[in-house]
Amino acid sequence: MSIDIRDVNKKFGTFEALRNVSLTVPSGELVALLGPSGSGKTTLLRIIAGLESPDGGKIHFSGEDATNLHVRERQVGFVFQHYALFRHLTVFDNVAFGLNVKPRKERPAKGAIREKVLELLRLVQLEQLADRYPSQLSGGQRQRVALARALAVEPKVLLLDEPFGALDAKVRLELRRWLRRLHDEIHVTSVFVTHDQEEALEVADRIVVMNEGRVEQMGTPEEVYDNPASPFVYNFLGNVNLFHGRIDGGEARIDNISIEVPDFGSGDNIPAVAYVRPYDIEIYRSRRNHEDIESVVRHIQGAGAVARLELERLDTRELIDAELTRERYRELALRVGEAVYIRPRNLRVFAGGDYQI
Amino acid sequence: MALHNKKNSVIPGFGPTLGYTIFYLSLIVLIPLSALVIKSTDLSWQQFVGAVTADRVLASYRVTFGAALMAAAANAFFGVLVAWVLVRYRFPGKRLVDALVDLPFALPTAVAGITLATVYSSNGWLGRYLEPRGIKVAFTPVGIFVAMTFIGLPFVVRTVQPVLEELESEVEEAAVCLGACRWQTFSRVLFPTLLPSVLTGFALAFARAVGEYGSVIFIAGNMPMVSEITPLLIITKLEQYDYAGATAIASVMLGASFILLFAVNLLQWWSRRYAE
Amino acid sequence: MHLPGRKNRDSTAFAGRGMTEPALVRWFLIASALAFLALFLFVPLAAVFSQALEKGWDAYIEAIREPDALTAIKLTVVTAAIAVPLNLVFGVSAAWAIAKFKFRGKSFLITLIDLPFSVSPVISGLIYVLLFGLQGWLGPWLQEHNVKIIFAVPGIVLATIFVTFPFVARELIPLMEAQGKDEEEAATVLGASGLQTFFRVTLPNVRWGIIYGVILCNARAMGEFGAVSVVSGHIRGSTNTVPLHVEILYNEYNYAAAFAVASLLALLALVTLAVKSVAEWKMRKEA
Repeated sequence: MSIDIRDVNKKFGTFEALRNVSLTVPSGELVALLGPSGSGKTTLLRIIAGLESPDGGKIHFSGEDATNLHVRERQVGFVFQHYALFRHLTVFDNVAFGLNVKPRKERPAKGAIREKVLELLRLVQLEQLADRYPSQLSGGQRQRVALARALAVEPKVLLLDEPFGALDAKVRLELRRWLRRLHDEIHVTSVFVTHDQEEALEVADRIVVMNEGRVEQMGTPEEVYDNPASPFVYNFLGNVNLFHGRIDGGEARIDNISIEVPDFGSGDNIPAVAYVRPYDIEIYRSRRNHEDIESVVRHIQGAGAVARLELERLDTRELIDAELTRERYRELALRVGEAVYIRPRNLRVFAGGDYQI
Repeated sequence: MALHNKKNSVIPGFGPTLGYTIFYLSLIVLIPLSALVIKSTDLSWQQFVGAVTADRVLASYRVTFGAALMAAAANAFFGVLVAWVLVRYRFPGKRLVDALVDLPFALPTAVAGITLATVYSSNGWLGRYLEPRGIKVAFTPVGIFVAMTFIGLPFVVRTVQPVLEELESEVEEAAVCLGACRWQTFSRVLFPTLLPSVLTGFALAFARAVGEYGSVIFIAGNMPMVSEITPLLIITKLEQYDYAGATAIASVMLGASFILLFAVNLLQWWSRRYAE
Repeated sequence: MHLPGRKNRDSTAFAGRGMTEPALVRWFLIASALAFLALFLFVPLAAVFSQALEKGWDAYIEAIREPDALTAIKLTVVTAAIAVPLNLVFGVSAAWAIAKFKFRGKSFLITLIDLPFSVSPVISGLIYVLLFGLQGWLGPWLQEHNVKIIFAVPGIVLATIFVTFPFVARELIPLMEAQGKDEEEAATVLGASGLQTFFRVTLPNVRWGIIYGVILCNARAMGEFGAVSVVSGHIRGSTNTVPLHVEILYNEYNYAAAFAVASLLALLALVTLAVKSVAEWKMRKEA
């Protein structure tokens, strides 16, 4: 089932949680709502679920208006950030809850419920723990119970609020891969909220980057990472270096580098900022031409697949992060304090001043 | 109280439950209490002042508030001691003692009253040792103090105890590491932290003691001007069909209760000021 | 506000960390605390039972089986059987509205619910006399229609409801606030109706809190003296509750009988404390 969100607004008092948000979640995909806290992602998720109602705008499920549908009738599965397991019920009864509260006419027979619950517990690999209470489970196990419980009612949409937020790093990593595999198996349209870019990049088919109640960009992980649509997305997804300059008549001058930027028209003397990923900083021991920027190596972190360097520009004293492959790092044999020449490539130019997260 | 929340929450039942709450509250508490306030306006101002400042009434205030103040003070001191001992030390029977601290909440006041009167009378279990030493408890203002101490006993213990338990041991360890001795740790670090809860417990015990009737009348002796408490005076007036007089005195007591309630709310707000 | 704060955990963990007082100081403090409690709590408690049995077991049974005593017990039970369920329904309803929703004036409402705790029992009785008594607002009308409230059972029940009004609500509001509304939302998303959510999710989660509130409410309802004394009229064998019966026996110098009946109330208090401790322990475990 696809989800269409059209011009949704939501205010809490004077705080604008969502401002004219529109987006589409294609049927069967796993979509991440990614953004810093306060960006409106959880509010959007709760509006999709029907736990909050929007002040304006529409929600369509498979083309049908679901805006005024009660949460009970939306057939969504919701996994809460802190799981919200029923603490007085066993794992089995937690998963069976949604089936047990169905009206008598629709409720499956006892045996059928049992079958279904055990099948789900097998799916989340918890069949041995059916008789335990939530307090006797680890965080990762609780998360999987919450997921099984949400799936028991065969939702058309699965919504997950920071599903891995409360887990420690190792379990987090395992569980998110497991979620990805699970989704490939059951293919239910799913939306999850996260503030962790790595999580979104690794798990999601599609990422919606949100900031201050707006959608900044939507696309596949590659699209948003390689082609950030705004300075915010650049900053939020991965490290980035900033280079300041000006745009004159469709040509940007960033330090001594000139770049054609036809999109900015023929305006003159527009302040501009260029964004460059650390791995797009080239480093040389000697000056090759006037575009190179003279810098000093301030710090080196050489362990790992890539070497991370902190450099200081001699002219502006600004710090620049660079990443080198292991081979290139060995080849250069750099030491702290040595002078180098750097050259940014793949600059992405945005008009305006600095962008702060 | 705006009802617009109904729309914002998927959990049902806000309207009916809040409606019923306000209806029942009005029926049982607010309307009857306002009857008292309105009834007290039957008297003219001079009559009202006369009724609430008669010699016997003034004496009853002195007895009631004086004894209540002393009882609350005793409870503040011993309450901190009992809470401290219960939280920090181990001794046999501790759990039982801990549970019994709440006895004054659970024991009917009349039972407390006749028992204290018996135990502290001249040939009672405790009275027979106190009286030869010149301490007459039963049927004197001291008896009032004893009864009020009894019924106020749990308040300070139960307000201080959770604060003492929540107190992180790191705070004390930090004080020790900074060179404070045990007494300095207590007086400069622990006590200031406990103070709001001690004062809250004190005010609660005081408020309870001021209004107390059942446990006091049996041990007080009830001599007008000497050991007659204000609640008893209200009943005496009622029995003499002096409704206006009873109401006037009751409205003074009610005013005092409201001031204390306000003070307690302020104290609780103050004690939360360091809460994260 | 007036109820004893529940203990969150047993923390004897402080002992033996080099953070405590010398043994001598420790034992002196323990002894002082216990001496204070003995003087004001333990000795009187023991005295109730000792006095009750002073004239022997037969006299004890006789005092309790006497018709006036039995009527008093019956009236007390009936009163509690009306007052406690009414305040339970109110408490649950108030806690639901206050803990699960946001609205303006919430803390003011909580203060109003607490009000009966800060009113003297005597005044709690007086207000109903002023409303329903012969000289009260509704008195003449009631007399005309031959309805007796003051100096009759309805007055006793009303006064008891007033003094026990906040008990259940006071217990449930913080408990339900602490539990939040995640589980209720989860139940709703899973298709549960409002009533299903309440009975299958909310109620099981607060059951020990309800037991705690009900048992304290019941203890106070059965033991209330001042308020009931004002509205009862002390008609022996008719409008006497157990505490009032104790008073009458005591004032007639029938001490053994007075303490025999009083010991029933003291037993009730001990049972109350026991149930309360269990409920506290359960709640701590489930928290």
